[in-house]
Amino acid sequence: MNYAGAGEAGMGSVCIMKTGFWPSFSNQALLAFNTSYIAGINYENRFNMWELGTRTAGLVIPAGKTSIGACYSHFGYSDFRRSMAGLACGMQLGKNFAAGIQIDYFLEKTSGDYDNYQSVTYEAGLFFKPSEKVNIGLHIFNPVPNSLRKAMMPSSIRAGAGIVLSKVLFAGAEAEMSPGGKLIVRTGFEYEAVKKLRLRGGFSSENTSFTFGLGYLLKSLQIDLSFATHEKLGITSSVSLIFKIK
Amino acid sequence: MKRYIWILFLFLFPVLLFCQKKDLSEEIISIAEELTLEESNPEAVNMYLEQLHELSENPVNINSADESEISRLFFLSDFQVKALADYITTSGKIVSVFEIASIPGFDRQTVEMIIPFIELSQKDTFITDNFRLHSTFLTNIIIKPGEKDTSCLGPSYKLLSKYKLTAGRFTGGFTLEKDPGEYLTDFLSGYLSYTGKGFIRRVIAGDFSARFGQGMNINTGIHTGLSLTAPGYFAARNEIRPYTSTDENNFFRGAAAQFSLKKAGITLFISHNKIDATTSAIDDSAMLIAERFYETGLHNTASLMLKKDAVTETSYGINLTYNFRYVKAGLCWSESRLSLPLIPEKKDPENLYAFSGTRCTLFSGYYSSLINRLLLYGEFSLNDLHNYAMVQGAALKPSDRLTVNFLFRNYTPGYSSFHSNGPGSNSSNNNVQGILGNFIFEAARHLFISAGCDISHSPWLKYRTSFPSLARRTEIKLQYNPLENLTFNLSYNIRYALVNDDHGSGIAGIEEIKSRTLKGQVKYGFNERVSFLTRIDYKVADPSGSDGMLFLQDVVYNFTQVPVTLWFRYCIFNTDDWNSRLYTYENDLLNCFSIPALSGKGTRSYMMLKWEFGNRAELRLKYALTSLTTDKYTTEDKDEFKLQFRIWF
Repeated sequence: MNYAGAGEAGMGSVCIMKTGFWPSFSNQALLAFNTSYIAGINYENRFNMWELGTRTAGLVIPAGKTSIGACYSHFGYSDFRRSMAGLACGMQLGKNFAAGIQIDYFLEKTSGDYDNYQSVTYEAGLFFKPSEKVNIGLHIFNPVPNSLRKAMMPSSIRAGAGIVLSKVLFAGAEAEMSPGGKLIVRTGFEYEAVKKLRLRGGFSSENTSFTFGLGYLLKSLQIDLSFATHEKLGITSSVSLIFKIK
Repeated sequence: MKRYIWILFLFLFPVLLFCQKKDLSEEIISIAEELTLEESNPEAVNMYLEQLHELSENPVNINSADESEISRLFFLSDFQVKALADYITTSGKIVSVFEIASIPGFDRQTVEMIIPFIELSQKDTFITDNFRLHSTFLTNIIIKPGEKDTSCLGPSYKLLSKYKLTAGRFTGGFTLEKDPGEYLTDFLSGYLSYTGKGFIRRVIAGDFSARFGQGMNINTGIHTGLSLTAPGYFAARNEIRPYTSTDENNFFRGAAAQFSLKKAGITLFISHNKIDATTSAIDDSAMLIAERFYETGLHNTASLMLKKDAVTETSYGINLTYNFRYVKAGLCWSESRLSLPLIPEKKDPENLYAFSGTRCTLFSGYYSSLINRLLLYGEFSLNDLHNYAMVQGAALKPSDRLTVNFLFRNYTPGYSSFHSNGPGSNSSNNNVQGILGNFIFEAARHLFISAGCDISHSPWLKYRTSFPSLARRTEIKLQYNPLENLTFNLSYNIRYALVNDDHGSGIAGIEEIKSRTLKGQVKYGFNERVSFLTRIDYKVADPSGSDGMLFLQDVVYNFTQVPVTLWFRYCIFNTDDWNSRLYTYENDLLNCFSIPALSGKGTRSYMMLKWEFGNRAELRLKYALTSLTTDKYTTEDKDEFKLQFRIWF
């Protein structure tokens, strides 16, 4: 699943190889690099329609070389709702190498005579740094055969690499594929224009979407905003707050 | 069972990160995948991978500096074999495999290719006078739970058992194989072999394979010129070897002996073997004839059992070689006689030039000559009906960073042989003319560019092609190794062919088939224990315009506390139809191979475990699952379970 917060959404949703709070739920291996207690909330307003809004909350608890994470996400409105809860764990297996896993619970409710669906699956990721400036991330979602469950759930595979081009500039690219879908390529950058202010831009081949965003760091609070275009349906905006507790 | 395996996998995944100590190189894997595409010769990839397994089982001792020993690395060119032997003779033994990359004619790409198949130990493992018994026993069992055919005669599992006993210069062994649905003793093969260093080089009684020159007269192994961008095309060899493969029809059963006297060599062989064929009676008589050979080796139904051992073939021949100062030359004569006449259906125009009768006699002459940086080689072969085949090749190495290869071949439509496999030939070894060329260039440090093109013409009709036809293959490859443990590969491949257009009624038209494939791959060895491979393929098949794509992730993990290696792959594929299918090589049990054709929309995943019990035994387990999305709400799963146990004593 893609839990890109507003920060990553502004970078074309490139997130499986960039350390941070929200990326830790897109690639659980990144959880291991969180050294503080962190909580965050995110709101995504898809195409400026409140019925297509997604509200997400998350929490990270560090424990040495291992970190635990929990997240909850809610999409939809009274007639159609999809909720997800996840419990994740990321562990450093070496100085520059980490692995993580997350158990997910999904609940889909539709009003009227339609059935409600619930299912459990898992996702897992790897992260490693071949050199100081290069990050590589790999992620698999739902590698469980659908014949074992009542309702179909798509699986996906993602791989990406990022590079620190300078002290203030990070760029990354990743590819994702699902059965029945085309390959999606995403690329994006983050630039620290002035101290504590970050500008972001990106592109995703999915619906030919261009994205841009900005973030501001205020002591232990980080505020991010992002906007993503869709070739036909308009603009999706997101906002997120991240609190570093300790 | 599937449910429990996936639950187990769920808990194992965090540590299922991967790596194989002696991974096959990308070049080797891409050749295997390319051979799988050649539908005209389905056994080629099997043979190729069996030879690789044999090499990994019995690695080449390169420090022996013996050219014949080094040339067992059949994918090396004669240049490379000679350069390696000369280097060891003049500079002493090689201490590290990466030292080989500094030898003229070698690069890192080639070194990676040979690493799994060589050893640097200084002992002479090739031949020893010590009379010490050494046995190897291997058993494979393959079960596909979802596939059971009630019409089959025997059990549904596949079984392969091999036993080898070595005692000094003597070696003996047997191979037992049954395919799914066959009786237990469907194929049994055995041999006894003596290897010497003096006048008698080798004597084999029982089942054996043979190859002389370029293989246009006798070659029961694979042909050379395997890949458009392979480093070398020339690996001519004169050898007889015990037969341990599982092709049930293409080997000799009898006796063979190889002798050597100074610069001359002579090989004699005789064989009396039963082979599979489709037989029938001629309309107006009770006389039986063989319509065609049956080559798959599958005998799991009553009708297929009728084809088993239907014809007896008696073969014999002689091969002479002599090493002149600058030229190695040889002559080979062979004859095969069949117990039943082979009479193909002549109403079919494509069979007009096909072999007919009971006797096939061939005579061939071959040579190779290395002059400074130019290698010339060729062979001319003639049958008793005066139909001929010839190849002429040249390999040029103008600098240490550039290699250029050319190969011309002409197999006339009437040329036929039962056990040949020459360069660039197809499964029937006739009716093809062509020219092939390539170059491999080290463009910059760590950057390799290679490209190749093969244009061939069939002057007479062939299967699915009712007209003289043309085919073309083109490929360009880039390899970049910025770090010792990081490799990027990119290749673009175009295939073009003409086939019958059977869509309408009446006489078939001509259809142009074209496919373009782009492959990108990143391989990273994080440390001794863990390695990763990410690969993306994209293919477009014309004229339908259908496309296919796959994305796969491999992880290999070597445990340090226990001698266990784990392989894991997860692959998602999405193709419009069978024409845009994609192939991916998978790690498998020894003496097995798996290169599934991925077509449709779905996933393919597998897990394999190898557990070594000291230097005495090894266990391999593999579970693979293909999940196809049949429509929006349903999937169809096919799984298979493989087990292998190997013991040395």
